[in-house]
Amino acid sequence: MKETKVGIVSCSGEECLGGTISRLATRKVLEKLRMGETVTICLPLFIAGGEEERLFAKVFPTIAVDGCSKLCAMRATEKYSGKVNAVINVAEILGEEIALSELVSLKELPENYEEMVDKVANEICRKIDKIISDILTKEALEELESEGKSSGGCCCGSC
Amino acid sequence: MSKVVVIPCSGMGKVYGLIAREAALKVVRELKKDEAETKCLAYLVTGDEEIKNYMQGKKCITIDGCPKMCAAKNAKEAGAEVIEELKSIEFAKEKRAMKPGTATNLNEEGWGVVDYIADKIVEIIDKMEVK
Repeated sequence: MKETKVGIVSCSGEECLGGTISRLATRKVLEKLRMGETVTICLPLFIAGGEEERLFAKVFPTIAVDGCSKLCAMRATEKYSGKVNAVINVAEILGEEIALSELVSLKELPENYEEMVDKVANEICRKIDKIISDILTKEALEELESEGKSSGGCCCGSC
Repeated sequence: MSKVVVIPCSGMGKVYGLIAREAALKVVRELKKDEAETKCLAYLVTGDEEIKNYMQGKKCITIDGCPKMCAAKNAKEAGAEVIEELKSIEFAKEKRAMKPGTATNLNEEGWGVVDYIADKIVEIIDKMEVK
């Protein structure tokens, strides 16, 4: 079984609370909830960086985390790097009004911001688990199929 | 005079990206509300016509957290006139704040660097107004 890491690209938008929550939720997943199973890249590196950075979404199955319905992380990733496997829209999870609030700095965050971060982080984790499960299932099926072919028998391995 | 656009890199992987982000927010939300604004860097990266039209020829101060200079490069790519390219790590060195926190949270040292950069940006904007 190959080791699979999932890429997370967050918008980290500076104009609305959704951007801050997307950033904090992504950091929580990277540092705590799925440490070692996830990697990230700074979104603007798709333009400022080189070929290696632009390969990100081709090398890693990738989740875009966006703070608002403009979906900049998803669109920029697909424009410069590759198709994303899943998208998280903070505005859909927390509501448009909250996501578009102008309280953006860590110093201004609403009292219940940790709840918001957790909701988004848990959603990211669900997507990660689904992606990894799909990959493992695909690998297992391929393995069964190749075993079946090489032994000349049925892929179930028992007949 | 139209507002100066302050664009931080907000880099996800390093504390210096967070310092840049918080410094920009302090300027546009506290210190120079009427003279400065920010735009989401991620939006600039999309290359949408709307934001490119908006940024065309706009005076812009960028703050980057690493040598890749994402904020400066993307602002130029979007058509802005970048008048200052600041590097948050240089300010951290000047303040001898070598453990300013993490990419998730800043400590007292980190917030000190944020204030220092924000004051520097205010100086730059004030000089522009005099001209």
